[in-house]
Amino acid sequence: MAGKGFTRNFRPLQILSEEEVEAIHRATLEVLWVTGVRMEHEMALKLLEKNGCSVDYDEMRVRIPQGLVEDCLRTTPSSFHAQTRDHKNSLMIGGNTLCLAVAPGTQTVDMDTWEPRPATRKENYDGVTVLDALPTVHFFSPYTPYFGFESVPPCMAMLESLAARIRNSTKFQCVGFSNDSELFAIKMAQTVGIEILGTCAIAPPLSFYRDAVESAFRFVEAGLPMRIIGGQVMGGTAPATIAGGIVTNNAEVIAGLVLVQLIRPGTRVLIKDFSASVNMRSGAPAFGGIEICLHNAASNQIFQKYGVPLDDTTAYPNAKMPDYQSSYEKAFRVFTAGLSGANTLLYHGSVHGELTHHPIQAILDDDSASMVERFMGGIAVSDETLAVDLINEVGPIPGHFLDKEHTRKWWKLEQFMPKAADRLTYPEWMNTGKKTCLDYARERMEEILAIHKPTPLTPSQEEDVERILEEARNYYKERGLITEEEMVTYRASMKSPNYPYE
Amino acid sequence: MSTKVLEEIKKAILTYNREGAASWARKAVKEKISPIEALDAMTVAIRQVGDGFGKGELWLPDLVGAAAAMTAAMPIIEEEIKRVGAKRESVGTVVIGTVCGDIHTIGKTMVATMLTADGFAVNDLGINVTAESFVKGITENKADILAMSALMTTTAPEQRKVIENLKKESLRDKVKIMVGGGAITQDFADSIGADGYDPTAPGAVKLARRLVGK
Repeated sequence: MAGKGFTRNFRPLQILSEEEVEAIHRATLEVLWVTGVRMEHEMALKLLEKNGCSVDYDEMRVRIPQGLVEDCLRTTPSSFHAQTRDHKNSLMIGGNTLCLAVAPGTQTVDMDTWEPRPATRKENYDGVTVLDALPTVHFFSPYTPYFGFESVPPCMAMLESLAARIRNSTKFQCVGFSNDSELFAIKMAQTVGIEILGTCAIAPPLSFYRDAVESAFRFVEAGLPMRIIGGQVMGGTAPATIAGGIVTNNAEVIAGLVLVQLIRPGTRVLIKDFSASVNMRSGAPAFGGIEICLHNAASNQIFQKYGVPLDDTTAYPNAKMPDYQSSYEKAFRVFTAGLSGANTLLYHGSVHGELTHHPIQAILDDDSASMVERFMGGIAVSDETLAVDLINEVGPIPGHFLDKEHTRKWWKLEQFMPKAADRLTYPEWMNTGKKTCLDYARERMEEILAIHKPTPLTPSQEEDVERILEEARNYYKERGLITEEEMVTYRASMKSPNYPYE
Repeated sequence: MSTKVLEEIKKAILTYNREGAASWARKAVKEKISPIEALDAMTVAIRQVGDGFGKGELWLPDLVGAAAAMTAAMPIIEEEIKRVGAKRESVGTVVIGTVCGDIHTIGKTMVATMLTADGFAVNDLGINVTAESFVKGITENKADILAMSALMTTTAPEQRKVIENLKKESLRDKVKIMVGGGAITQDFADSIGADGYDPTAPGAVKLARRLVGK
């Protein structure tokens, strides 16, 4: 069901032994106490010192003792409710539930050449509409579907993206931070009466930049839930070994968790294990690697023990278009998340790394996500499903099950019916133009755009959103982050026929 | 003896040995071996690593490891070049760095290493480099090329700011500017008035050669 996530009806994969989990926990505590983390924020350092940490103000280094770590893990809720403007889309994050979200892209791709190009304003809004319609998209991550769109100055990308999502979807929203954008994002959420998931992004190894800490204070003091994101690249900003990567990532995200629990005990937290390996040819993160699945599976197990909800590494493929490679890279990720007990995963729409996104990919991902939902549902075992009486009644050939009431009742519950996958026979396939899942996905996109009408904001909410956007534009213009020239193009783009509420 | 020392410097770089590279560089100075010859030996070694990387035989940790070994030896040899007043031949002088607000280092280091391997004199200002530091670096090193990296859409505009600063300091016409990084496109490079853009490290070397007319 839309908005509620997938329920896992079996024990999650335990990829580590209990001794291994304990070894990782002890190693994490050692790193937090011996080396600690660099946190470039005096108020945060003072708060941590007051609560028993050892602080070196010259190095901006904080060393966190075991007792405090364990206290803060205890005050963190093991699951939490996230309020949206349409209650049916509100979420309960944690426990045995997996909620999927949109995976962003800097740009869109051209449907004929599959080459990247900036999205237009209309494509961004249409993208949100498609994602609003897809039942397996439970929430939106920051700057989705695109990091920005044509004519929007970079400093406004985060806020224009949030405004588009609030306008065109009633699903739960997550936001990032950049140049104080969180101040306006919080205001926008408050005025519409929704909650948003804030972000504190760590700079591995073991560092927190001032902006990340400042935004954490702002989100937490506004009473909002927080996502604390690692972001290590194993072999680059973390050890090349998966176990070593888990230790540094743990130390980083737990330092963030301690901070937000001290700012406001009981703050709702979603930890993100955002880990990948370095592509040792290009230096870019190798997002499609299977080792990410191992890292995530272990982190899921560890955070289940801690009792803190976990978000797996965003399912970015290395492929450049929805093809065979893209399918297996993404499928391994979502399947591992389902098997090993992740609570959230950014999944839908990413085409190549963080660089591109497309709604057609999101429609294909809706299919594979539904398959995982079905798998997580597990196997119903009861007298009725064991069907012993029926088996005895039908007996050997020429007996069969196709005409039985039991079959009519159960097959639709047991089988998942894909919406985009091709399941035709060869003759049917040849006679209908040899269509592939891409063709079906394109048809579904056109159908959604023709019939799906997202629930609009009320006129006064709309006015408020636009007023806050305008405040932000003026704020950035005064600070020189939007030039006169950019402002002219930006304003012109709002008057174009693509502007969504002309 | 001079041949042995030069061979050892090369070997240290080829085995990613920082301490070894620095120690053999000091030995070269002590034994009054021509610092230009020592620099040549280092360049030969780093070129060999660059070629290996280009052929797919070596990987990023090898390239970065060799660059680190060379960087450990470089100040010792550079100081000696200055002391004896020797003239260092290079294809051109490059000042390189990742822009302010951005701490991504790998792509920038790859480009710096491959430019060095190709015979450029490279001054790597590191990461999170302010516009003022770029200006200072260009002036102090009499750079032919400024190379800037930005990995994030939020830090890409900083490249424009650096170029504006160079204009204010009347330095823009004295230096060729090349830009790169995950957030950069040819259109963006054109819009900020850069002289060139390339998405890959080997491409950046070709671009640098073109910009200095070699």
